[in-house]
Amino acid sequence: MRELELYYGPQHLGMVGNFSLTLQVEGDKILKASANPGYLHRGFEKLMEKRSWIKNFPMVCRINVIEPDSMEMIYSMGVEKLAGIEVPERAHFIRSIFLELARVGSHLFGLWAYANMLGFDTVAQWAMYHRDLVLDLFEELTGGRVYHIYIWPGGVRRDFPEGFKDKIVKTLHTIGGCVPDYDSTFFNNRLFYERACNVGKVSRAEAMEMGGVGQVIRATGMAYDIRKVEPYAAYDRVPWNVPTRKEGDAFSRIWIVRDEMIESVHMIFKLLDEMPEGNVYNRIPNPFKWRIPEGEAYVRCESSRGELGLYMVSDGGKEPYRAHFRTPSYSHGLTVLEKALEGANISDVGNIMMSLYVVAPEIDR
Amino acid sequence: MDRNQLKKWFQNPVKMAHKYSLHVVYFCTGCGIIEIPPSITARWDAERFGIIPVATPRQASLFIIAGYVSLKTLRSIIRTYEQMPEPKFTVSLGSCPINGGMYYDSYNTIKHLEKYIPVDGMIAGCMPRPEAIFVGVTHLWTLIDKDMADGYKRYRSNYSAYRANQEKILGKLEWPPLFPIHGEE
Amino acid sequence: MLKQELETTFDNITIRMEKKNQLELSITKDGIMSVLSFLKNKGYDHLHVISCVDWIDDKQLELVYILSAYMKQDVPGETEQLNILLKTRIGRDDPKYITSIALFPAAEPYEREIHEMFGVDFLGHPRLTPLLLERDYDIPPFRKDFDTKQYVDDVFGSVPSVEGEDKN
Repeated sequence: MRELELYYGPQHLGMVGNFSLTLQVEGDKILKASANPGYLHRGFEKLMEKRSWIKNFPMVCRINVIEPDSMEMIYSMGVEKLAGIEVPERAHFIRSIFLELARVGSHLFGLWAYANMLGFDTVAQWAMYHRDLVLDLFEELTGGRVYHIYIWPGGVRRDFPEGFKDKIVKTLHTIGGCVPDYDSTFFNNRLFYERACNVGKVSRAEAMEMGGVGQVIRATGMAYDIRKVEPYAAYDRVPWNVPTRKEGDAFSRIWIVRDEMIESVHMIFKLLDEMPEGNVYNRIPNPFKWRIPEGEAYVRCESSRGELGLYMVSDGGKEPYRAHFRTPSYSHGLTVLEKALEGANISDVGNIMMSLYVVAPEIDR
Repeated sequence: MDRNQLKKWFQNPVKMAHKYSLHVVYFCTGCGIIEIPPSITARWDAERFGIIPVATPRQASLFIIAGYVSLKTLRSIIRTYEQMPEPKFTVSLGSCPINGGMYYDSYNTIKHLEKYIPVDGMIAGCMPRPEAIFVGVTHLWTLIDKDMADGYKRYRSNYSAYRANQEKILGKLEWPPLFPIHGEE
Repeated sequence: MLKQELETTFDNITIRMEKKNQLELSITKDGIMSVLSFLKNKGYDHLHVISCVDWIDDKQLELVYILSAYMKQDVPGETEQLNILLKTRIGRDDPKYITSIALFPAAEPYEREIHEMFGVDFLGHPRLTPLLLERDYDIPPFRKDFDTKQYVDDVFGSVPSVEGEDKN
């Protein structure tokens, strides 16, 4: 049969954002795939070298549009490690609750994209509605729907307003009450099983070799989660589990997303119960004259897509000398995706890409 | 349907049909796209305004350019825009297409979108909320009513200048010109 | 223990551990591959990132390999999760280095990006094609002597407005 070169994206219904693929196909079988990122490249790491430490906050949260909060967290952690700033205990708890809410919102967005792509429009509409309820919480707390700039070096920007705890509980109960509906319509649906089982298989050895993190490696049975491996914020204060599965295909990756959401909700309840009283913010030096001592730091945290890292160098100046983000989608969207697409069917491209949870702005930065 | 508008429907049915069935190109050009899924789903429901995303630019009449435009995206934006049938309207979301926004010193994003393709309306904000998108669309209705949403006509008449600007930034474009290019006057 | 083993195995290696969970190793440029394979055999098999820093005053580029173990149980005798920063410096003019894809396949896109952004040639890399950028730049854009503001004024500022009324 004749070989063809097929361009997939960026203007395409089955695409994860602004990203494209070049596929070598024979019939409808993919022989070779090469990813083509760069449609969203803004040169953040270069721009950050020209802005002061505090002015970088609006920059970093725009790297991952779907979950900006883990980006703020990682940058705050980097600044705190370089400058040696301590964070109050209550701020640790608020940070964890905030990040877990963001994880729920981000997973619901991912579920929207995945369900929409498979044709489960009803589930997609529900997921997007429930995400909006989480965004309402963020809006009340920080004033922004999408970008919050809430986590700062030294703590968080403000304490929870009065009655906010009850609102979190109420919203999470609303979302959690719909889990049986989600299960019966989507997760336990035979169509979803037929469509996603044994699609886009990544074995554990392959995933480890190619730098897989997050759902990709947890779907192969390894409980690799930075919140457990290298605990930060208040994640070591409460008991919780890392959901894993054995198969390593699209089906198990999406099931892990579901289990993680439920685990996050339970974790938020536990954190709310154990939250201590006190200060939420340690004063930092005047941000306009702030100089951070010479040194370098590598910090990492768990975003909703996997391990997120930041390598930051300071030369004692007002701006970072160099910052480099290690984003989970970088290895998932370039190496793992190219490997998983080899030998797959054209109709499964969107399925594999969405289940790997690739976000294009994270790759391009 | 509003009964007061019945007269308009009889006078100019084509324009009214364009106005109330805006088909959007499904193209996530930037971070503004994060507010598009909420607006087209149950809570904000853009179909009340006749807005619905479609699969290909050949069926579309509205191009929402969501957020900053990097150079690589500009190339595909121009191709997509040229594939759309007339009449076609362009709305940009966010501060970045207006003057570069927070990426004013980035080497890879363009600063003024209207220098490369015609833009009918610009919605400011970072991000514009779903309400802002709907306000922008209702403004676009007014513009269509008054024949002021004429970006595609301006593109046709100034095509040489637009194409020159595009080639200045992107280098020689690999596809043939959409309209005949006039020489230097 | 890792510290002592590294000191006995390799000669010119500097080891610092100032911050928590962070081990900084510096070595001359021919030693990197042997240290990488040594660490990989020890169980540090997760390459997080390859980064590059432009030290323009020293006229050098610094390559930073950051790696750790996936699980600390994989490494015998390991008590805490350790992030290892392995650093080497290469000349800034016409920089060349060897690829580490044979050891870590995950290194491929990182090396491609460093080639594009800093102009480092990785010998033996199968495809050093452009990854993110559209235009050609005289100086690779992440180097310190590339002035973004000046570049923006030169390139984007010189594009004229199309229609007359936009000018005022």
